[in-house]
Amino acid sequence: MTSHTRLAALAICAAGCFTPLVALSHAALIEAETAQAVRLHAFYDTGEPMSHAQVIIYAPDNPVSAWGQGVTDRDGRLEFVLGPETGRWSFQVRQSGHGAMVHVEVGDDAPVVTATSSAQSWGQRLVMVALVGWGALGTALFALARRKGRDASA
Amino acid sequence: MHLPDGIVPVEMALAGYACTAGLVAVALHRIKARPDPQAEIPRVAMLTTVFFAASLVAVPVPPTTVHLMLAGLMGVMLGWFAVPAIMVGLFLQAMLFGHGGLTTLGLNGMILCLPALLAFGLWRQIGGRWPDLAAFGAGAGAVVVAVAIFATIVLTGLPAELDARAERAAVQVFALAHLPLALAEGVIVLVLLRVLRRIEPRLLPHG
Repeated sequence: MTSHTRLAALAICAAGCFTPLVALSHAALIEAETAQAVRLHAFYDTGEPMSHAQVIIYAPDNPVSAWGQGVTDRDGRLEFVLGPETGRWSFQVRQSGHGAMVHVEVGDDAPVVTATSSAQSWGQRLVMVALVGWGALGTALFALARRKGRDASA
Repeated sequence: MHLPDGIVPVEMALAGYACTAGLVAVALHRIKARPDPQAEIPRVAMLTTVFFAASLVAVPVPPTTVHLMLAGLMGVMLGWFAVPAIMVGLFLQAMLFGHGGLTTLGLNGMILCLPALLAFGLWRQIGGRWPDLAAFGAGAGAVVVAVAIFATIVLTGLPAELDARAERAAVQVFALAHLPLALAEGVIVLVLLRVLRRIEPRLLPHG
């Protein structure tokens, strides 16, 4: 074995010995911090989820330009972490011209959620339809009575 | 198919109010010119209720759900009266059900009043000669025109931060889902006018 060959073998052995040490020197670091997150659930008033709807997020200090965007999942849900700004965050969920906006107050205390609109039960809706129908019927009868009165006087 | 608040830019909402105000003014002028406008009030009142309640009738058309519009029926049955009737119905729907917004009331008025007037025009042109064809065309055509106006407004008013391609695809799916509704509304108007022709022809616009 020549001196060059010995030197090469020695270099290879040294490299083999030190390589694991080099790999182990990539230590893992973790930084953990708490943050306020928002969980959205968007659905139509028929109960159907707004699947894959687009979400636009507006920060409290700039309610005109979007702070961030997202897309809901198949169930109409989306979770994300807010920035450090405190105040009223706004979230608009929209899909094919339909959508709604929700505002969330974020401050030093726990966030308070305010919903866009309360979902009405079918009972409430039927009462409303009945009331409007009653109003229309009254209008119709009133107009008919006036007409009959005019015809009679003529 | 109602535009809610916050979906379109403020300028578009204001333009919608301006256009609808003009349309309502023209309609009221035409109504006033009729010999006895008050005679129509009972029919207008009842059909306004039908229009108001129709938005609650949801028809599942996978992957979405559509609801009855009845713009064609309103146009054929009420003529120019359809404009104030639809506006009252839209206002009540927005206030009581949250269907559509108050800021977008003008645009929603355009979306439904224009097809209603087109249906009225179609009925007036060919309703006397081909009543079935005119009735079906008015009912179905009104839905198609309303969807076209709705899609145009939505796509024109897209905010820059929105993914336009995804929204366009969603609008296309939404428009396709309305094709069965167009057929259904065409049949509704056709059947209703046939029944009226048989039992009470005086209620027909050409009765």
